[in-house]
Amino acid sequence: MTGMRFERSHAVPSQAPEPSPEDLLARSARGDEGAFAQLYDLTASRIYGMVLRVVRDPAQSAEVTQDIYLEAWRQAARFDPARGGVLPWLLMIAHRRAVDRVRSAQASAVRDDKYATLTEDRPYDSVAEQAQASLEAQRVRRVLDGLTEPQREAISLAYFGGYTHREVAELLRIPLGTVKTRIRDGLIRMRDALGVAS
Amino acid sequence: MTDELNVLAGAYALDALDDAERARFEEHLAGCERCAEEVRGLRQATAELSRVSEAEPPAQLRAGVLAGIAQVRPLPPVVDSALADNVVALRRARVARSTWQLVAAACALVAIVVAGWGYSQHRDAARARSAQQSVVASLLAQPGVRAVTTSLSQGSGTVVYSPGEHRIVLLGRDLPALPADKTYQLWMLPDTGPAISGGTFRTDGAGNVDYQVHGDLTGVSRMGISVEPAGGSAQPTPSTVQLIGI
Repeated sequence: MTGMRFERSHAVPSQAPEPSPEDLLARSARGDEGAFAQLYDLTASRIYGMVLRVVRDPAQSAEVTQDIYLEAWRQAARFDPARGGVLPWLLMIAHRRAVDRVRSAQASAVRDDKYATLTEDRPYDSVAEQAQASLEAQRVRRVLDGLTEPQREAISLAYFGGYTHREVAELLRIPLGTVKTRIRDGLIRMRDALGVAS
Repeated sequence: MTDELNVLAGAYALDALDDAERARFEEHLAGCERCAEEVRGLRQATAELSRVSEAEPPAQLRAGVLAGIAQVRPLPPVVDSALADNVVALRRARVARSTWQLVAAACALVAIVVAGWGYSQHRDAARARSAQQSVVASLLAQPGVRAVTTSLSQGSGTVVYSPGEHRIVLLGRDLPALPADKTYQLWMLPDTGPAISGGTFRTDGAGNVDYQVHGDLTGVSRMGISVEPAGGSAQPTPSTVQLIGI
């Protein structure tokens, strides 16, 4: 049993039901490193992938991801399930850290480059990602395709570009109020289309 | 007015607010179940976005994370009880303990109550705030009370200290907003020996805070506030310390 805890959870299908991220985090809060390793295995590709998209540099992204998990380990006992699931919580810590990193390393050249890329290709449909997309990713992609282009653009710039809504307004030369509305309406549409429990 | 804030739920869930806006919105969230409900749903929708950016992390990252956590103790849970309860408990405890042990205990307890995470922290702070205001008023009525205001690089800090009650209240005004993973920490800086933590605190959206801690400042001529990683540090991060006269 001790060895199994450290197995990658998706490598070997197990008979027993998978512990939920919530269970694993609760055990981590009590100092269970094995549970935390399982939580890492369940979530690392989501966390690292998002950080990589925002930060772009793989070495820096790995560093930031390591910080994120250390922070999650420290804060495990303070996770409040009333506010939502463990993955959204982890992703929120992750997004803050990723944005902090790009802001502290902010060279204008890098930002320009980032904006150019974001506006040329939609950031979520590069060929490589399409090829290895899971069914869920395809589903999310379809939902994103169902948004209006302005909604998708505002959400992508804010989330994967790491820009604040004010910066998005500036980049797109539209009023802040319009950005707020686009982001909110777009997310509501995503929520409803994905049927996520609120 | 509520609708004006409610429209921020999307940008908040997407983490697209700047620090000051986020702090202000979190304060609103604490008292607005409609927004809290919406944020939960939108945050989950935001989490789904990360499915399209999934990428396998480098293999050595896992070993790095596991080696890292082996050296870090998880923080204790936030004890969700009113600040006042702990103050009463501490005053009882003081009878049996030496002053500095008491300060350490007070700091630890207040840190547990005050330090939190995300908006639960703001919620707790908001809850404690009205109690704090009457605490300050009663403190100022004490004989021998001292109050010194110090201008900081941004904003100001006033320390109100009652030698009779060994109560210290820090009134921070217009302090810079901090990102969610950072916190302010109060320190007592004795002339010799290491700094003594007075616990961590966060400001409200306007950069204001009324923060109370018990402690004996006899022989302590300086206090300081520093910016530390969430949860606080054992010793202040030197580059961030600002001294406050007492």
